Amino acid sequence: MINTLISIILIMAAAPLIEGIIKTAKARFQNRRGPSVLQPYYDLAKFFGKDSVVSPTVSWVFRLAPYVYFATVFAATGVVATGGEVSQFADMLILIYLLGLGRFFLALASLDAGSAFGGMGGSREMFLAVLVEPALLLALISVAFTANTTALGGMAGAAGGLPFSLPYILAAIAFFIVLIAETGRIPVDNPDTHLELTMIHEGMILEYSGRSLGLIHWASMAKQTVMLMLFVAFFVPWDLPGLSQAGLGGIWFVIKVMLAAGLLALVETSTNKMRIFKLPGLLAVSCLLSLLALVAQ
Amino acid sequence: MNAETLYFNSLLAMCLGALFAVLFRKNDRMANYIAHCMAIVGSISAVLCAIFVFKDGGVSLSLFEWGRVGLVTARLDPLAAFFLLLVGVIGALASLYAIGYCREFYGKRLWLMAAFFNAFLLTMILVFSVSHVVAFLLAWELMTIFSFALVIHKWEDATVRRAGYIYMVMTHVGTAFIVAAFLVLATAVGSLDFEALGHANLTDPMASIVFLLALIGFGTKAGMIPVHVWLPLAHPAAPSHVSALMSGVMIKSAVYGLSRFLLEFLGVGQAWWGELILVLAIVSCVLGVLYALMENDIKKLLAYSSVENVGIIFLGMGAGVVFMAKGLPLPAALAWGAAWLHTLNHAVFKSLLFLGAGAVVQKTHTNDIEKLGGLIKKMPRTAVAFLVGSAAISALPVLNGFVSEWLTFQALFQLQRAFASIFGKVMGAVLIALLGLTGALAAGCFVKAFGITFLGKARSEKAEAAGEVSPIMSMSMLVLAALCVVIGIFPQTILPIINYVLPVYWGAETAVLFDYQSLGLVVNTGVADGVMGVPAVIGLVLLGLATAVLLSRLSGKSHEQVGDTWTCGIDPTPHMQYTATGFSKPIRTAFMSILQPERHKVVSADTNSYYGRRLEYHLSIRYFLHDKLYRPLNSGIIRGAKFIRRLQSGHLQLYIGYVLAVTVVALIWSSR
Repeated sequence: MINTLISIILIMAAAPLIEGIIKTAKARFQNRRGPSVLQPYYDLAKFFGKDSVVSPTVSWVFRLAPYVYFATVFAATGVVATGGEVSQFADMLILIYLLGLGRFFLALASLDAGSAFGGMGGSREMFLAVLVEPALLLALISVAFTANTTALGGMAGAAGGLPFSLPYILAAIAFFIVLIAETGRIPVDNPDTHLELTMIHEGMILEYSGRSLGLIHWASMAKQTVMLMLFVAFFVPWDLPGLSQAGLGGIWFVIKVMLAAGLLALVETSTNKMRIFKLPGLLAVSCLLSLLALVAQ
Repeated sequence: MNAETLYFNSLLAMCLGALFAVLFRKNDRMANYIAHCMAIVGSISAVLCAIFVFKDGGVSLSLFEWGRVGLVTARLDPLAAFFLLLVGVIGALASLYAIGYCREFYGKRLWLMAAFFNAFLLTMILVFSVSHVVAFLLAWELMTIFSFALVIHKWEDATVRRAGYIYMVMTHVGTAFIVAAFLVLATAVGSLDFEALGHANLTDPMASIVFLLALIGFGTKAGMIPVHVWLPLAHPAAPSHVSALMSGVMIKSAVYGLSRFLLEFLGVGQAWWGELILVLAIVSCVLGVLYALMENDIKKLLAYSSVENVGIIFLGMGAGVVFMAKGLPLPAALAWGAAWLHTLNHAVFKSLLFLGAGAVVQKTHTNDIEKLGGLIKKMPRTAVAFLVGSAAISALPVLNGFVSEWLTFQALFQLQRAFASIFGKVMGAVLIALLGLTGALAAGCFVKAFGITFLGKARSEKAEAAGEVSPIMSMSMLVLAALCVVIGIFPQTILPIINYVLPVYWGAETAVLFDYQSLGLVVNTGVADGVMGVPAVIGLVLLGLATAVLLSRLSGKSHEQVGDTWTCGIDPTPHMQYTATGFSKPIRTAFMSILQPERHKVVSADTNSYYGRRLEYHLSIRYFLHDKLYRPLNSGIIRGAKFIRRLQSGHLQLYIGYVLAVTVVALIWSSR
């Protein structure tokens, strides 16, 4: 119990740092200096200190949504918190549907202010979810079949015992595509854009300001960290010899998460954003890779 | 009190309800109150009867001796009791709602509707309890007829008449298949009693034929694709409390019928039966929810979503049949349990949504969600209930839809064990992915249904003028919403009932299937296990909420300004909001090959071409099943009829000639 809580607090606290690392890495790849690694923390502090502007059109759904979104991501963090007891009692389906609950409320909130941009963002977010959900399930199911359970703890254990082989690489690529889509990064969505017509996630939360926006941003960063952790736990489970014995397994895990974040930055720099109607193809590739991995196992 | 008395009580109360409705036909108020109160009494008796069966075990009752047909019996076994529970709970709440809702029908043949409503409930109870082929078919037919009478209550409307007609035709085609299935079985055993039908010992091909007949027959009633066409027409046409019963309970009579056939009459079948059900089920899921997402008529949207949910129920049943054929009792029990739990859950949230839609339609007089908006402020209680229902049907934790969908996922996950080859893995993975797709589409569908209807600004004067419905109506909706939450958080309340039905078919081993640990529900199937820690997850979510609230409290007092929604500097009007059609656009484009959308845009040229042009935009999707299956079938039947018509010349001489010819042929045949 205490372990889980500590893990959650650590992950929530480290999430802006991961975002900062991605931003810095991206800046370096683009030959820029970029802002400080700690910039996301300053941004959050700024959001929480600001007043907010709320449209008179909105109802309680709009006010509640950031809290629900934050709470579901918080719970998802707890579910994947490695080493925590909860991971023994929650499985990948609950994790996926928890994230779905948060998305459901944000999409509703996007329709609440009565602007066309919000609805557009909400509509695209739900569309993206339609593409991502089967791909995510397929990528995870190949691990779950080996583990013979959908429980995350069991799956992580089984992933560690797998030999490095072709199906493994295929499944890892499949999951990485899902990771990009789920964290809203290029080529699926552009987190830095401020052009209303191209935004997905940012468009959905356009009407938010102040601490509500802070909560949403924080939750999004935590969700990104959760996805990176899943990627590392299931698809990069390998240990450096001697590290675990020396009690440094945790540190090695953190290093791997940071490396995965760097990979995300690399992909973001080296590709450009796709048209939204090209995305079904990309996610279909992910589905097919997962199926191939399953067949080749 | 025992199950028997309560059963007869329930039947009696509904008979009286129908009778009183007819007696008080001059006094709408009395007819409304007495008939629906009797329906409530009858429904509650049915619930209590089911509870007594769960407590004391099943009972067999002799109803009456009927000439050559034989002794007609009713058997209240656990399976029947489970479905009685369904009728009772939904029936009681729908009747409660009806008391408020039917005020709208004062002076519009209310007594007729109330009488048929009672009769409809009564026949559903009979369908779930009688244990005799003729009585079952009679009750089945009456159930269809009474629901038909309710569907065409507003028969002045041509679309309603057409919906009723198609409903009648389709269900009768289905009934013909069911009759055929029963006849094959009954001739094989030489008895019409359900108890005897299980000992038919059919050969494999015969059993397969019976299975196919039953699947088509009951599938039609359930609204399984491709025999679903009546459902999206009939459910919206009926008054809303009746739609709730039809979608929530009546289509589940098919689940009941198939359960009887597959578990009792046919016994262990062949694996391809299950595979066939799985394929039809997943097609129903995906197509049903896609069509629901394209729909802007709120009741049609809900009707198509019923097609989807029937698909999810059938997924469980199909997997169950596969496991039975492969000799895996525990996974089979899990799969059937998932199917039954989803049957119950769908009954709860779908009737809730239909009642909510009924409330909206009553207050705004439109089914078209493009004309709604902002109702959350005008109908706060309805909005809360509808939101809970929407989240539950999207299988979001921690509501009841998630529990049964999770169990279905677990059942599909076991498919890898049923086949030695890679086939099982691939099939399991693909079905799981498609079920995930269905869930995501359903979430999109209900974000649209709730968001466009209840959030934002009113898009028409009708929506602007809406108000909250009467307390009695909101009460029944809120009770259903509470049921969604309770079953979602404590699946322990319902799973023991499922666990009571299961051992009848798979023995006592199934007792270990569901294990309730302090942190949640564990499914033990020997090899692959699943866990769902609902309390732990709720704890985490609540902790998260508390953290979020704390974070915003800690950062000092917030000054909140009111500022209009950003619409690029123009004054926001309701017409700037995203529309329902726009919301579903990305999905329509991505699934273009299935949905085949056609749009028709008219720009009137007479106004200034730079400013204030008048646009007309029509969008429709094509139902490929109508084009590829029903239209050819229809024209084939008409062509066949035209061909046969040549025989009917109208000349008496010719007819005598036919008689003569047949006699001659018969004589030659018999003297051979």
